[in-house]
Amino acid sequence: MKIATNQFYENLKMAFDTLRSNKLRSFLTIIGVVVGVITVMLISSIISGIGLAVEKQVKAFGTRSIFIYKQEIGIRFGRPSREERMRPDLTLDDALALRELSEVETSVPFLNVSSGFFGNRTIVSAGGKQTQNIQLSGTLPEIEKTETQVLIEGRWFTQSESDAKSDVCLIGDTVKDTFFPYKSAIGETIEINGREFRIIGQLQKKEQLVGGGGGNNDESNTIFLPFHAALRIKPNADDIFVLAIAKPGRLNEARDQIEDLLRVRREVKFGQKNNFSTATADSIIDQFKSITAGVALAMVVISSIGLMIGGIGVMNIMLVSVTERTREIGIRKAVGAKRSDILLQFLIEAGTLTGFGGLVGLGIGWILTLLISIVFPSYVPWWAPVGGFFASVGIGLIFGIWPAWKAARLDPIESLRYE
Amino acid sequence: MDEQNGNGKSAASGPGEALISMKNIWKTYQMGTEELHALRDVSFEVRRNEYLAIIGPSGSGKSTLMNLIGCLDSPTKGEYWINGNLVSDMSDDELARIRNKEIGFVFQTFNLLARATALHNVELPLIYAGMRAAERHDQALASLTAVELGDRVTHRPNELSGGQRQRVAIARALVNNPSILLADEPTGALDSKTSIEIMHLFEKLHSDGNTIILVTHEPEIAERAHRVITIRDGRIEKDERIK
Ligand SMILES: Nc1ncnc2c1ncn2[C@@H]1O[C@H](COP(=O)(O)OP(=O)(O)OP(=O)(O)O)[C@@H](O)[C@H]1O
Ligand SMILES: [Mg+2]
Repeated sequence: MKIATNQFYENLKMAFDTLRSNKLRSFLTIIGVVVGVITVMLISSIISGIGLAVEKQVKAFGTRSIFIYKQEIGIRFGRPSREERMRPDLTLDDALALRELSEVETSVPFLNVSSGFFGNRTIVSAGGKQTQNIQLSGTLPEIEKTETQVLIEGRWFTQSESDAKSDVCLIGDTVKDTFFPYKSAIGETIEINGREFRIIGQLQKKEQLVGGGGGNNDESNTIFLPFHAALRIKPNADDIFVLAIAKPGRLNEARDQIEDLLRVRREVKFGQKNNFSTATADSIIDQFKSITAGVALAMVVISSIGLMIGGIGVMNIMLVSVTERTREIGIRKAVGAKRSDILLQFLIEAGTLTGFGGLVGLGIGWILTLLISIVFPSYVPWWAPVGGFFASVGIGLIFGIWPAWKAARLDPIESLRYE
Repeated sequence: MDEQNGNGKSAASGPGEALISMKNIWKTYQMGTEELHALRDVSFEVRRNEYLAIIGPSGSGKSTLMNLIGCLDSPTKGEYWINGNLVSDMSDDELARIRNKEIGFVFQTFNLLARATALHNVELPLIYAGMRAAERHDQALASLTAVELGDRVTHRPNELSGGQRQRVAIARALVNNPSILLADEPTGALDSKTSIEIMHLFEKLHSDGNTIILVTHEPEIAERAHRVITIRDGRIEKDERIK
C-alpha cells in the first residue's frame, strides 16, 4: 500500500511536469471540460436560486393563501394577451362574497392606487422627501387575519376607521427607510397626492423573490390604506386583486369553491375557461418545478457535450503524447517499469489533465455564480463542484484508457530505438 | 528455478550453475526482402561473478547481444536462460522485475530522460522498485557522488557534457546494486583517468560477488576482464579466459 501511494504521488508529479511543459496544448485540451464544469456550476446555481425563490414565494404566500387576479398569475414570458387585458376587473363585492363560502376563512381585496387616472404615478412625500415609486394598496381590516403581513410596530386600522375612510396607513419596511430612517414612523404623517395620512403601523420586511430594495418588485415598498381611503386618492381605481385564506387543510376545496363562485359572478359560460386566475403556493411550486426540470435537462445536455468534447480532446492529446514519448516509455521500461506502471502513469496524467480542467471550470464557475447571486439570490449546491470535479477526472480516466493501454503495451527495445 | 534443469538440451558446464545461458541464439532483422542476421547461432554461458568483456568491430552485433542479455529484446531463434528460467516463458511483469532489481544497464546511447534532472534519472529504477522518497533520494545521491557528479544533481541531460551524461547513465545502472551489470561501451565518452575510476567502481561491484558484462573496443579496458568474447559478423569468433 505504501508502495502504491508512493507510486501514485510520483505519477502525479510527473503528470504536472508534463502539463507544465505543454501549457498551450494542455489548455486547449481542457477547454471542453472547463466549459462543461462551468455549465454545471452556473445552472446548478440557477436551479438552486429558483428553489430559493420558490421557498420565499411559498413563505410570502402562506400555505393557506389563494391569490385571485383577473390576469394569469405566476412567471410569465412576454406581455399578457389582449383577451387577458380586456377581462373585467375583480371588485370589492367579489372579495366580500368569497367570505360567505364554507371553506374560506376570510378574504381581502387589494386596490392598487399607485398610479392616477392618466397613468401618472401617485406622489408620496414626508419630511421634505418625495417619491413616486411606492406601491399604494387599499385593503380591509381583515388583512390582519390573513397573517401574510407581520406588524412590528403600531397596529392595523380598525373596522370603524375603515368605515369612516380615516386617513391612516401602515408602511412597509422600505418606505420607513426612505422617509424615517433613524426614528420610529408611528404617529408621523405622510402626504399622498396632497392628502395627509397618519402612520399607525409598520410592517416587517417581506422575503423578496427577485431583486433587492427599491424596485417595483419590492413588496416592502408598500403603503396599506383603508380601502375607501384609497378610493379617495383615485376614485376610479379598479385594479384589484383578492387574497383568500382557506380553512386549515382545505386549500383545494376552498379554491374549487372560489372558482365556482367567481365563474357565476363573472358570467363565465359553461365549458369556457376561467376569465381570472387563482394561485396557491402549490401552483407556484409546480410552475417552478417544470421550469427547473427544463433547465436541469439543458444542464445535462450542455455539460455532457462539453465533457465529451473534453474527453475526445484528452484522448487525442494523450495519443500524441504517447507517440512523442515513446523513447521515454522505452527508458522507463528498461529500468523496470511494469506495464501497469506505465498504464497508471498515463491514466493519472489524463485524469490530472481533465481534473485540472475541472478545477479551472470550478474557479471560473464560482466567480460567475458569485456575480449571478448578486442579481439573483442563489447558491451553489455542494454536489455541483464535487460532481463536476469527479466527472472531469472520470472523463480523463475513461478517455485515457486507450492511449495509456497503447503506451503500456509498447515493446521496450523498439521504444528505445524510436526517433 | 531448479525445475527447469531437465529441459536444458546441451548445457555445457551444468545449467544449474550458469547465471546466463544462451543456446543457438539468432537475431534476424527483415530488411525488405533481405534478411539481416545480427546474431548467428550464438551460444555461451556466464557464471555468477564472472567478469566478461565483449569486443568486436562496429556492427558485429555486440549491442544486439547486450539487449538480449538485458531482457529488453527477444531472439528470433534459440533459447535464453537466466538464473535457470527460460526468458521467453517469463511474463512481462517478471521481466520488468528482473530489469529493475537484477540488472543494471549502461546503454551505449545513455538513454536518459531528457526532461528529468540527473538525480531523477538515477532515482528512476528505485521509483519502480517502490522505494520511499527519502531513502531513494539518499541512495541516488550516493550513486551520483560515486561517479563524481554530486555537484550536478539538478542538471538536465542537455546541461551536461557527454562524459557527464555517461556517468549519470552509469550511476543509474549502479544505483540498485545489480547482480548483473551490463555496460555497453561505458567509457566511450570518458578520458582515461575517469575511465579508470569508473572501472574501479565496476570492479568493486564485482568483488562484492556480482557479475559484470561489458562491451568495449579499448584493449586496456578489455584486459582488466577475466574473460573476453570476440564477436565478428554476429558470430562468436573467440571466447578466451585471460585470468
Ligand atoms: N533494429 C534493427 N533493424 C535492422 N538492423 C539492425 C537493427 N539493429 C541492429 N541492426 C543491425 O545489426 C547489426 C549489429 O548491430 P549492433 O548495434 O549490435 O552492432 P554493435 O556491435 O553494437 O556495433 P557498435 O560497435 O557500432 O555499437 C548492424 O549491422 C545493424 O545494422
Ligand atoms: Mg553497439
